[in-house]
Amino acid sequence: MAGSSPAGRRWTHSRSSPVRSPPARSPDSTYLSGDRNGEMNHLEALMAAQVLHSEVRERAVKSLDDYLHEQEQKKLAKREQELKELRQREEDRLRHETKLRDEEERLRALQAQTVPKLPPKPPQQAAPPTEPTPESTTVAPNKDDTAPATQPAAAKPINTSNPFSSGPVANGLSASASQPEQVKTNGHTSAAASFSATPSPFAKQATPQPANPFATVTAPKPAPQAQAQAPAQPAKPPATPDADRYVQIHKNLKKLRALITEHAKTNPQLKKLMGEMRREIRKSLGQLTGVKGANKKQLESIKSILMSAISNQPPSPPIDPSSFVVDAREPVEGALHNEPQLPALFIYLMNQLGKAIINQFINECGASPRSADPVGVVTAQLFSAKEFLWRGKSLIDILMAKFRVVCPVVFGYRGSDKTEQGRARLGWRKDGGAWISEQQHNDRMMGLGIGYASIALRDFSKSSNINPWPPSRYWKSMANIVNTPPAEMTDTQCIVLKSMLNQHEEKFINFYGSAAVAALRRALVEWPNSAPKKTPGVMGLQVLAVMCKRDMGLDLGL
Amino acid sequence: MADLASRITEPEASAAPSQDMGDVEASQTDGAGTIGGGSGLQEVNYDVEVSLNELQRDSSNPLGSAHTFEELGLPSEVLQGLMAMQFQKPSKVQEKALPLMLANPPQNMIAQSQSGTGKTAAFVTTVLSRVDFSQPAQPQALILAPSRELARQIQGVVQTIGQFCSSLVVAAAVPGAVARDTRIEASVVCGTPGTVMDLIRRRQFDVSQLKVLVIDEADNMLDQQGLGDQCARVKQMLPPTVQILLFSATFPDGVVKYAEKFAPNSNHIKLKVQELTVRGISQMFMDCPDESQKYSILCQLYGLMQIGSSIIFVKTRESANEIMKRMVADGHKVTALHGAFEGSERDLLIDEFRSGRTKVLITTNVLARGIDVSSVSMVINYDVPMKGPGDREPDPETYLHRIGRTGRFGRVGVSITFIYDKKSFDFLQQIAEKYEIDLIRLVPDDWDTTEKEVQRVIKSSRAQAGFNPSAK
Repeated sequence: MAGSSPAGRRWTHSRSSPVRSPPARSPDSTYLSGDRNGEMNHLEALMAAQVLHSEVRERAVKSLDDYLHEQEQKKLAKREQELKELRQREEDRLRHETKLRDEEERLRALQAQTVPKLPPKPPQQAAPPTEPTPESTTVAPNKDDTAPATQPAAAKPINTSNPFSSGPVANGLSASASQPEQVKTNGHTSAAASFSATPSPFAKQATPQPANPFATVTAPKPAPQAQAQAPAQPAKPPATPDADRYVQIHKNLKKLRALITEHAKTNPQLKKLMGEMRREIRKSLGQLTGVKGANKKQLESIKSILMSAISNQPPSPPIDPSSFVVDAREPVEGALHNEPQLPALFIYLMNQLGKAIINQFINECGASPRSADPVGVVTAQLFSAKEFLWRGKSLIDILMAKFRVVCPVVFGYRGSDKTEQGRARLGWRKDGGAWISEQQHNDRMMGLGIGYASIALRDFSKSSNINPWPPSRYWKSMANIVNTPPAEMTDTQCIVLKSMLNQHEEKFINFYGSAAVAALRRALVEWPNSAPKKTPGVMGLQVLAVMCKRDMGLDLGL
Repeated sequence: MADLASRITEPEASAAPSQDMGDVEASQTDGAGTIGGGSGLQEVNYDVEVSLNELQRDSSNPLGSAHTFEELGLPSEVLQGLMAMQFQKPSKVQEKALPLMLANPPQNMIAQSQSGTGKTAAFVTTVLSRVDFSQPAQPQALILAPSRELARQIQGVVQTIGQFCSSLVVAAAVPGAVARDTRIEASVVCGTPGTVMDLIRRRQFDVSQLKVLVIDEADNMLDQQGLGDQCARVKQMLPPTVQILLFSATFPDGVVKYAEKFAPNSNHIKLKVQELTVRGISQMFMDCPDESQKYSILCQLYGLMQIGSSIIFVKTRESANEIMKRMVADGHKVTALHGAFEGSERDLLIDEFRSGRTKVLITTNVLARGIDVSSVSMVINYDVPMKGPGDREPDPETYLHRIGRTGRFGRVGVSITFIYDKKSFDFLQQIAEKYEIDLIRLVPDDWDTTEKEVQRVIKSSRAQAGFNPSAK
C-alpha cells in the first residue's frame, strides 16, 4: 500500500494518523456517515490539507534548495572549467613560446655556424692590403659560394649543426637562462638585433648548405624556424660587408692619420697638442692596474682629452664619421652628437686610443693575462660614454677594425699556418719582410684573446649606457672558432679560444647559463677531441677542461 | 703564474746553444727568413737541426735533441702542466738540455744561456720528472738560488708546472720561512744556501733521499766568497749520487773551472759572449742635457710607447724614494725596493709588482738577476751601472742582467740608459763595445721625433729578433 500512489499514501497516511483520526471510525463509515459535513470532519480535512500543504511546501522548498545548490555547483564547475581552459591556453602559449625560443636559439646558433664558412676564401681577397676598394667585399661572397662546394658538403654541416644546437636543445633551461639575461644586460637586446643582422648575410650565402642538414638533424619544428629566418633576411644588405667593412674602416683610419699629420704640419699648435694628447692617452692606458678604484685618474685624463677634441679644441678640420662605422646612421633624438661631421682630431684620438688598447693587449696581456680586465673596463666605459657616441651609437667600430686586422680569428677568419696566404688570414704579423716567430705570434694571440673577452663580457646591467660590444659578440666569436671543421683547425684558433675562455668561464656562464656550459663542452672537449692531431694548442684546450673541473668543479664530461 | 705561460717556447731567434756560430746563423735564417720570401704552399720549418757539439756526442746520448715535449717521455702530469701554461714546444736550450738531464743514469750539467730562454722551466721539468710523488713528505730535490726573491719565484714555477701532480709539496727554505723545531716535509725544496745549510745541520731537512741539486744563477753563487762556500758545504752533506745541474746566463772563465769541479763529468751547454746580448730588446740611450732634467725626461718616456710594467734601476735608495714620490704624483703605481727592506717586507713589495698591483718598480741592484716578471716591457738604467771603489769602471755584467729583465721569452723589450756627462757616456760606450751593441741615441728635444725614433727602433729590433743572429 505504501508504494501504490502518492495520493493514496497521503490519504492513508493522514487517515491512519492516530492523533487526528478517531479510533472507532472506518473509512467507509466516515464517508457514509451522516456527519460527513459536520464540523469535526471539516476540521479534520482542513488539518489534513494543512499538513499536506506544509509537506508540499517543504518539498518544494527543498527541491528549490537542491536546485539552487545544483546551480551553484554547476557554476563552480563551469568556472573551474574556464580556469582550466585558461590555464591550458596559457600553458600552450608558454610551451609554444619556449619552442619558438628554442628554434630561435637554434637558428641563431645556425647563423653563427654558417659564419666560419666565409673565411676560406674572402680573407684571401681581403687580407692582402692591395685591395682598397669595397668591390672586394662584393666579390667575397661569390668566392665563398664556390668554397663550400669544393669541400665535402656532408661532413661540414653535420659537424657544425651538432655543437650549438645540442647545447641549448638539450635542456630547456638554457633557453630560459639566457633569455632573462637579454633583459638584464643593457644592450644585450640590441645585441640580439645586431646578432641576427650580422649573420644573415652568411645565411644568404651559405644557407642552402647548413639549413638543410640542420632541418634533418634536429628539426622538430621546421615551421617556426622558417618564420624566424624570414625576418632576419631583410637585415642582410647593410650587414653583408661587415667583416670586410672593418678592413675598409682600417684603411680609412690610415688615410685620416695621414691627412691630419699633413694638416698639422702647417698648424704648429695642432701638431704640438696632438702629440701631447696622443702620448697622454698612451701613458694613461699603460698605468691601468687591477686595483679597485685605482684607475679613476687615468680614465678622467683620457676622457678630458677626448672631450676637448670633440669640442674642437684645438681646432681641426671636420670629417664625416660614417667612414669609420659599419652601419649607416641617421640623427637620433636625444643624441649629443648628431652633426654630420666631427672634428678630425677626435676621430684621430679615438683611433689612437684603439691602437693603445690593442697594443696594451699585445704587449702586456699575453705575459700577464690579469692586466686585461682593467683595460677592458676602461674600453667599455670610454666607448659607451654618451659624450663620445655619434648619432646615439658607439664608435667602437674604430677599435674593432683594428681587432679585425690583428686578430681575424675572432671574426671567423681562418687559414693554414703553413702557407703565406693562410698566415696572412690568421693575422700573423710580418716584420721587416719576415713572419714574426711562432712564439711572438702566439704571445700576441694570447693577449688579444683575453683582451677581446675583457671587452665583450662586460656587465652593463647597472649602467645607463648601452654596451658597445655585448656578450652576444663573444658567443658569436666563439661559435666562429669552434665550428671550424677539424681538418682546418689551427693552433692560432686554439690559443685565441683558450685565452678568451680562461678566467672568463664564470662570466660567460653568468651570461648564458647552461647554454654556456654546453658551449664550453663543445670548445674544450668535443672540438679538441675531434682534432686530427694533438698539437700543443689542442692540448691546451683539453687541459683547460681539466682545470675547469679541478678549480671550479665544472665537469664538462671529459 | 700565468705570466709564465709560453715562456718555454723560444723563438728560433734566441739562444741556439751551439758552439758553432755557423749553425746559429743558419738556424736564424731558416726559421724566419725563408718563409718571408717564399710563396704559395710553403711548409714552414721552424725546428732547425743544430749539430751536436763534441761533448754531447761523447756522452753518446741516445735522445739527442727533442722537438716536442711529448718526445721527452715526461710524466703526463708534468706534460699537462706545461700545456696549461701554453708552452708550445721546447726552447733551444730546453731542446738540448732536457734530453741530457733526463737521461739515465743521471748526468751532471752546466748550462749557460741568455736571460729569458727558459732555463728555469728546463730544470723544474727535470726536477719534477725525477721526484717520486708517492713520498710527498720526503725531500728529493733541492734548488738553490742567490736571493729569497729568486728562491720564491722558482718555488712558484715548480708549483705551476707541477699543478697537476696531485701530491706535490714544495717548500721554501729562505730566512724566516721554517720554524726552528719543524722538519721540512716536502718533495721539492727551493732555498738560499745559508738557510739550507743551517736546516740540514739542525737535522730539520733530511737530505738522505735527495736525487737532484740545482743551482740557479750559478756564476754568482759559486763566485761570491760566502755563497760559494755555503754551496760547497751543502753539497758535501748530500748523497754522492745526487745529480748536479748548474744554470746561469753568464759563466766567466774563472767560474767555469770551479763549476767543473763542483759538478764533475758534466755535460756543457754554452754560448759565446757576443751572443749574450739579448735580441729583441731595443737598446737605446737618452742623452740628457744635465742630471737635473733626468726626472722629467723619465716621465715622458711612458708616452712614447705602450708600456706594460717597467723597472727603473737607480744607484741609491734616496734617488729611488725621490723618483717614486714624483712618479706617483704623475699617476703611476710604483713600488720602490732596495736594501732598506728586509725579508718578508721585500716579499710583499715584489709580490705587489709581480701581481700587477703596481707597474713601475724602482730598485737598486737587488733585482738585477733572475727575477722574472714577464710583462716588463721597459728597463731604464737611470744611472749607468758602475763598479769598483768610487765607481771607477763600468759594470757590463750588471748591465746585461738588468736589461735581461725585459724582452723575456721573445717578447719585445726596450731598454733606455740615461747619460748626462762625459763619464757616464764613456762608460756606456765601453759596455756597448764589449757586447758589440749598437745603442740608439735619443734626444729629449722634440718628443714627436723621439717618439717616431723609438717606434722605429722597436719595430726594427723586433724584425731583427726574427732573423738576425746577433744583437747588432
